Amino acid sequence: MSLLFTERSGASKVRKVGLFQRIFMGGINHFRQALASLGDLWRSPLATMMTIGVLGLSITLPSTLYIMVKNTEKVTAGWEDAGEISLYLKADTTATQAKQLLVAVSLMTTKIDDARLIEPEDALAEFESLSGLGDSLAYLDKNPLPYVLLVTPKIDYLQPDAAKILLQDLEQQSVVDFGKLDIEWLEKLYSIVSIAKDIVWIVAILLCVSVVLIIGNTIRLNILSQRDEIVVMKLVGATDNFIRFPFLYTGFWYGFLGGMLAWMLVAFLLWWIQTGVENLAGLYQTEFTITGLDMVALGIILAISISLGLIGSIISVQKHIKEIEPK
Amino acid sequence: MIKFDHVSKTYPGGQQALQKVDFHIEPGEMAFLTGHSGAGKSTILKLISLMERPSVGNVLINGHNLNQIKPSQVPYIRRDIGMIFQSHQLLMDKTVFDNVALPLIIEGYSRKQIQKRVSSALEMVGLLHKTQQHPQTLSGGEQQRVGIARAVVNRPPLLLADEPTGNLDPKLSMEIMQLFEDFNQAGVSVFIATHDLGLIARMKYRTLTIKEGRMIDDGLAEGQDAFLGADDLNQPPITKLPPKYTL
Repeated sequence: MSLLFTERSGASKVRKVGLFQRIFMGGINHFRQALASLGDLWRSPLATMMTIGVLGLSITLPSTLYIMVKNTEKVTAGWEDAGEISLYLKADTTATQAKQLLVAVSLMTTKIDDARLIEPEDALAEFESLSGLGDSLAYLDKNPLPYVLLVTPKIDYLQPDAAKILLQDLEQQSVVDFGKLDIEWLEKLYSIVSIAKDIVWIVAILLCVSVVLIIGNTIRLNILSQRDEIVVMKLVGATDNFIRFPFLYTGFWYGFLGGMLAWMLVAFLLWWIQTGVENLAGLYQTEFTITGLDMVALGIILAISISLGLIGSIISVQKHIKEIEPK
Repeated sequence: MIKFDHVSKTYPGGQQALQKVDFHIEPGEMAFLTGHSGAGKSTILKLISLMERPSVGNVLINGHNLNQIKPSQVPYIRRDIGMIFQSHQLLMDKTVFDNVALPLIIEGYSRKQIQKRVSSALEMVGLLHKTQQHPQTLSGGEQQRVGIARAVVNRPPLLLADEPTGNLDPKLSMEIMQLFEDFNQAGVSVFIATHDLGLIARMKYRTLTIKEGRMIDDGLAEGQDAFLGADDLNQPPITKLPPKYTL
């Protein structure tokens, strides 16, 4: 390896450092440096905990929002599947006409999954039992409810736009008074969810940038506080890379520990929110559990936070290690 | 071993530290560089160790022109030069062992080799019993010896020392100098910058004198020793060629 003394490099091949040993010791050195960086963090627990706390909280917010949005999507996806079209037939429609329509609609097998006719009597009975107006209904001299045809479209026609076209199709039938596809509120919900998604992205990007800056600044302070040590290492022939790696490992550990903290915080927050969500779901007679915080999520959170830690430390190290030179 | 060829150095701001300095130190030679503070001693050492680059002229080590060394190669050059500083440049939060081992760790030696070499380097400077102590618990002379052990631990062919005895009393200074003599006898080229003229007078080695950035005496010509005014240096320079280099 000697640049100046060729006789020295010749000797080194024989009795000093062989290629295999160089690689092997390089690996050992990296492992040693990684542990040493962790040890350095351990020796200044308060500063380390504060840094990790900031990182953890910064990553927690977008992660929690992301999981909430994912769960909202899951819920609305369920609603979408249950989408039905109600066709209200004209009041003077006879039972025969209604049955004919049912057959006609049922034959549109490319678009329709299922069609069901609700007789006015059945509808009245259901209304009676659910509304609690049983006695008052007895005063009506005739059943005011029309025939209703419940149509379940095929999956392809469940999307709001496609469902609308299908509805217009069905309204062409002569006995149909009007059809109802209550997707407007669904569309509103979708646009709210999509805004929420955008907000999650904006918040996530801002916080990720701040994480990079925080780590970059922390590493900068570390480098400056070890200025003398870096000068000595440069004097005895350390390459910039050799000096760099411990700081990169520090960035790595910040990212890793911050990510772990974030994961725990997200788990705690979701557990907290879960009670409220259960109450709400109970009001709708359903059950709902927030999901999404699994090992994959942990992996993603860790990958993101470690990358951020490394990016921050690389930026800082590139700039500052070069500046420190023995004088 | 070290050759300065019409080297001038002007620092940013216009301060002219060296003007057309020429000298040549043979392989295996031991030589002193002397002059008043600010005369340019440190600049010469910094040019050799690549902490500074010459404004004009060439610095050669073992025939290699340092002007052709890229910044990324500088660390490898420094591994061939053992450097000793007046301020020791030790890491105060590391043990004596770790300080001396640093150049070997950087070069990727195995734990076993490091153990062996550090022990032998510390034995040479007489500090084997203080391996696990921290530098601040040692005396000034002992700290300087740790610095020397670190400089020689990877057996460089060239030792540079900048005021190695600056903070030491005469007796300790002499001990340090004897260490340098030992290394020189083992074949290492030794180049020491010092203003301790009494010490130089006793040592009888080639002495280069620099004054206001100019080499006024390269220690080779006889009878021009205006600066030292001593007869000792009229002897021919001691130029030893390296015997088998073992530590």
